[in-house]
Amino acid sequence: MKSRASKYAAFLRISFALARRSRGDLYGRVVFFVVILGVFSSLWTAVAEAGMPLALEPRAMVWYLAITEWIVLSAPPLHFDIQEAVRRGDIVCQLGRPVSWVGGVFAEGLGMLIARAPILFVTACACAGLITGWMPPLRVIAVVAPLGIAACALIMALWIGIGLLAFWLGDVGPVSWVWQKLMFVFGGLLMPIDLYPGFVRAVAPFTPFPSVLARPASLVLQGSNAGAASLGLNLLGWAALTALVLTFLFRRAAGALTVNGG
Amino acid sequence: MAPPTAVQLDRLTKSFRVRRPRGVGIVSRLRDFVRPQTRDVLAVDALSFSIRHGERVAFIGPNGAGKSTTLKMLAGILHPDSGEARVLGLVPSRQRRELAFQLGTVFGQRSQLWYQLPPRDTFELLGRVYEIDGATHRRRIRSLTGLFELEPFLETPVRQLSLGERMRCEIVASLLHGPRLLFLDEPTIGLDVSAKATIQALLRAESDRDGVTLLLTSHDTGDMEKICDRVIVISGGRLLWDGSIAALRRQYLTSKRVTIWSETERLQLAIPGVRVITSAGYRAEFDVALDVTTVGHVVDAALKQGSVRDLAIEDAPLDAVIRALYASKPDIAAGAKPDLAASVKPNVAERVKPDVAAGLQARSEERTAS
Repeated sequence: MKSRASKYAAFLRISFALARRSRGDLYGRVVFFVVILGVFSSLWTAVAEAGMPLALEPRAMVWYLAITEWIVLSAPPLHFDIQEAVRRGDIVCQLGRPVSWVGGVFAEGLGMLIARAPILFVTACACAGLITGWMPPLRVIAVVAPLGIAACALIMALWIGIGLLAFWLGDVGPVSWVWQKLMFVFGGLLMPIDLYPGFVRAVAPFTPFPSVLARPASLVLQGSNAGAASLGLNLLGWAALTALVLTFLFRRAAGALTVNGG
Repeated sequence: MAPPTAVQLDRLTKSFRVRRPRGVGIVSRLRDFVRPQTRDVLAVDALSFSIRHGERVAFIGPNGAGKSTTLKMLAGILHPDSGEARVLGLVPSRQRRELAFQLGTVFGQRSQLWYQLPPRDTFELLGRVYEIDGATHRRRIRSLTGLFELEPFLETPVRQLSLGERMRCEIVASLLHGPRLLFLDEPTIGLDVSAKATIQALLRAESDRDGVTLLLTSHDTGDMEKICDRVIVISGGRLLWDGSIAALRRQYLTSKRVTIWSETERLQLAIPGVRVITSAGYRAEFDVALDVTTVGHVVDAALKQGSVRDLAIEDAPLDAVIRALYASKPDIAAGAKPDLAASVKPNVAERVKPDVAAGLQARSEERTAS
């Protein structure tokens, strides 16, 4: 058991080392984050000043967006790595190791997440705080941070599922594009799901998306940790279901793998 | 108890389904999208052979022969459609992870190294993955990096290494856990002559030292001759030849190359079956078709024209032998692209058969006496 854990820890360490060396990607995300928060804070302020109905005050909306964007930007898009490995054929080397391939990919993703999420979280809090001149209670931030990391991990696992489709499709670009848009809509990326039309509110609870985006961010909106435990359980439930689906998908994918040439 | 054979294949078969486009028009493309047409390509066709422990086997064939597919099935990466494979007593498709502990793989066109990181990082990771204890792992890294002369590059990111250095790192990575069996898929592809020779010598030494069984695919006949003792040739997924390299030469060697340094300028020999390759100054090179004449006749004819200062008799390059093998099985090798012909053949060690040498010596003595 210990040696098994140390295998995955080794994957985590090596991708953490890689992420630390490839800082360009992180800096790009930080800049994007700052721009997005600036644009949307201006938008919400303009909407409020125009007297348009807005369920929440602008500063709360900026903090909500800061948290959802932090989660989205922190989760590494592992599906592209898997797609490239299948296309290039490097999957052949990866599958030849005495380790769960899915577990290895997930651990690598965690390494990248650990390198990336803290810096983006500080960026999110600093930007949202500077823009709004307001900070949520620290006890809320202390709960949102680990729940957000758990949500990132679940998003990563879902991306692995999309990536596994590359074993059949070769190119998962279109599927991931649709999946990402569904996540943005049903997860309430830009604004809370309560503000969306009825059918979105009706369908969203049957998807994992609100648990990974809207619900962690809503803790900041409500300014309390009520519902944090239920969110934690909800994330665990989705994680268990995702693990089952990934196990099934990988077994089928391994049988369907085609790697031509050398 | 160890299984009697390292590798055992019994009618192993694998096919791939590939798309067959209807055409280039928009309607054809729409139809392809809605209802794609496919065809099955048989990559490996009821292939059977076995390899004993400690053997070094070259596994060759033209492009698309099914070599890499077979190796991937033997490593448990691809699953066969039918037939059975046993590697070190395990069924690869069902016991991939157990097998991986005893198996090393090098795929020359793929990489198991983290491109942006130094090789040492990958080696450390592999130590954990293969559950090697710290002291053994450190000792193994020291020993292999010393053997493969990699110490200066251990902290250099892989992307900054030359192809030869990277390939040596790939081989070290596959040997770290002390595998009993090593699959090498074109390990010298793209390397210069010197790097090839280094890798060939190192692989042979590693196999000699630890008794590692080697199964090697390559289009370079130098790899086969320098590393392996036995050759398995496949084409169209089917077995074409299985035996020693010497036996392959004996059976399919159709010509020899004779180079003569004589005291006669521009030596010409008008013997059926003898073709002049080059003749300049006092050196002449001939291709001797063994089914038409013998090397002895050529030597006799040369001696009749003047004294022979020196003589070299070489086998035809192994490339030519393999081409002859393909040509002898046109039904199987149909459509095969024997790109082996394109590879550069290093000089074959000069060999003079004892009977020819004795004859030559006798004639030389006669001439001296006269």
